[in-house]
Amino acid sequence: MDLDKIISLIRQGKHIHEETVYTLCLNAQELLINEANVSKVDTPVTICGDIHGQLHDLLTLFDKSGGVENSRYIFLGDFVDRGFYSLESFLLLLCYKLRYPDRISLIRGNHETRQITKVYGFYDEIMRKYGNSNVWRYCCEVFDYLSLGAVIDNKIFCVHGGLSPDINTIDEIRDIDRKQEVPHEGAMCDLLWSDPDEVMTWSLSPRGAGFLFGKNEVDNFLYKNDIELITRAHQLVMEGYKEMFDGGLVTVWSAPNYCYRCGNVAAVLRIEDDLSRNYTIFDAVQAQNGVGNAIIPTKKVQMDYFL
Amino acid sequence: MANNEENRDIRSRQGINTIIVNSARNMHMKTVNARIPQKSTPQPLSQQQNPQWNNFMVNRGTQNTSTIHQRFKSPLAPRTQSTRHVCNNPNNPPCAHCGTTIIPSPKAFMPLEDNPEIIINNWKISTKKKPILNSVELEDWENNKLKGLALPEMIFGNNAITIQNIEKDWTLQFNTLDALKMVKLEDSGIRVSYSNKWLDAKKNNATKNSNQKSDIDESSLKIVHNYDWTYTTEYKGTIKQNSKDSVEYNFQRDDEVQLPIDKLSRSDKILFFDDMILFEDELADNGISVLNCKIRVMDERLLLLSRFFLRVDDVLIRVIDTRIYVEFDENIIIREFKKYEDQYSSVLSRHRLSHSYDPKAALRDSNWVVANSPLVTRECEILKF
Ligand SMILES: [Mn+2]
Repeated sequence: MDLDKIISLIRQGKHIHEETVYTLCLNAQELLINEANVSKVDTPVTICGDIHGQLHDLLTLFDKSGGVENSRYIFLGDFVDRGFYSLESFLLLLCYKLRYPDRISLIRGNHETRQITKVYGFYDEIMRKYGNSNVWRYCCEVFDYLSLGAVIDNKIFCVHGGLSPDINTIDEIRDIDRKQEVPHEGAMCDLLWSDPDEVMTWSLSPRGAGFLFGKNEVDNFLYKNDIELITRAHQLVMEGYKEMFDGGLVTVWSAPNYCYRCGNVAAVLRIEDDLSRNYTIFDAVQAQNGVGNAIIPTKKVQMDYFL
Repeated sequence: MANNEENRDIRSRQGINTIIVNSARNMHMKTVNARIPQKSTPQPLSQQQNPQWNNFMVNRGTQNTSTIHQRFKSPLAPRTQSTRHVCNNPNNPPCAHCGTTIIPSPKAFMPLEDNPEIIINNWKISTKKKPILNSVELEDWENNKLKGLALPEMIFGNNAITIQNIEKDWTLQFNTLDALKMVKLEDSGIRVSYSNKWLDAKKNNATKNSNQKSDIDESSLKIVHNYDWTYTTEYKGTIKQNSKDSVEYNFQRDDEVQLPIDKLSRSDKILFFDDMILFEDELADNGISVLNCKIRVMDERLLLLSRFFLRVDDVLIRVIDTRIYVEFDENIIIREFKKYEDQYSSVLSRHRLSHSYDPKAALRDSNWVVANSPLVTRECEILKF
């Protein structure tokens, strides 16, 4: 199959045939099954946060950061849901992965699951675009093979959500059987869901599930693993990135104008050979004429006689 | 392994099932329509029908804003074709006066701020929209203005709708900060559906690995930071009154009062319309908590609806509506407060009786939820100037 041609179709937002998606997904699984739970990546590399189906902003991301033809990338997950182009965004990343296997690492986010995509848009999108859920199922199969983290030059740990009290060393992540739907509890769940916060120790979220971790946990993890930074995504940041705990942890967010209405900017983080950090900020693709167009919806107010 | 089986299955499950297609279409209509850009706005009168249109377009950039709409009529003037409202903001899109409705067009990019307004008789209505709070603002809210609350993910903290009686200098405003100030700083008692399962697994894990494998102890499974994570707010708006005025204007509680649905059901031309979110949180993908505010202003009256909508998946549904009704000529303002609540499963079961397609789509539609949930509280207040 002609990956470059498919990539070009996806970049134009063209319909991708169900058979093609099937083949892509199968090939991707074969490739991903051989990858470790935590992949090792060399510098220089560009770390990208949540994408959430904003294909046109993903294209901007590649434009602004050199492109996969020229540089390495780590995506921290949450490729799908919320935006209108979850499929295209995910397929583009898969194609790049197949085309340039060692230049792109895909880490699983909490949205790369059957349960979440059913509620938050990806499933709807597939039903709308294909009239059946086959393509959604093929993609969910791939989700189960995505890795759980990455380590850059043994010095920077990348994950979607955060730390887990069940995980003291990065090596322990390698023991997880990742090829499954993300469970509602356990280390795998924590890595994809937990959030940093100003807490003294591991704390239960007031929602009754999920952990919050603080500076102590981050410092411990950095020390035990002899690393200097944790990069994660998962939480919206108006400025695109936010460093916490004296620079020991950073949140990177790469979906500008999230949900087409938040007005935030996006960022990617480039790690240079000397491990220095370079943030690139970018804006959302503008709707044309200020009224939206076929690709970029605007949340134009819809007048109605509400009661 | 199960995955391999499913892989093998992928091909055999191809082909389009018509029932699935139909349900997909229905679901699509229900859930996705709202997210798709509106292709057409309510039709403006054509230019031929309304010669003022051309004048307006020509004058817009050059004239003093206050003289753009100088045809301000007395309140007693017959209101058939005449216009009696005033649009002061030069950034207003063309208004009904000039051939189309004022629908502030939000541009989601900084540093734009929409701040349109309209005046009818003694009443001035204005709205304000900006992007979500930035880090500096967030820090201020977190450490000072809303100390103790873990803030919702999206705070449109500079959005507001303001209704002002100019003569009495009395103002009723719906703003994000005051709405969030009413979120309780205590445990709501509500837990996500899988909370028990999650906690049990952690506890088992902790006892099993008592040999320091796991970092957690009992205290880590207690909630340290107590606040209502559902962000439930019974906000009814913020009243501000100029202290110069010796008379204090207060709402009088009277639950007998009803909103004049007949008058509101008429298709009177909407002169001013706006719709905005004040805050929203996805509850870490366990549902949604959103406070939305919208307003429509007609020639003789206005209606504002502030709706708090909460859905905790597989747990509960809650809607809190505050409606503000103003009758301009009579200078009457009515505030109605309604609260709906039910178990998620109960609301869902009502849906199954009447529809066959994806019932969960309906649970994302607050209008459907309101129509299918029991009314728990209703209060009404009235104020006459
Ligand atoms: Mn996430």
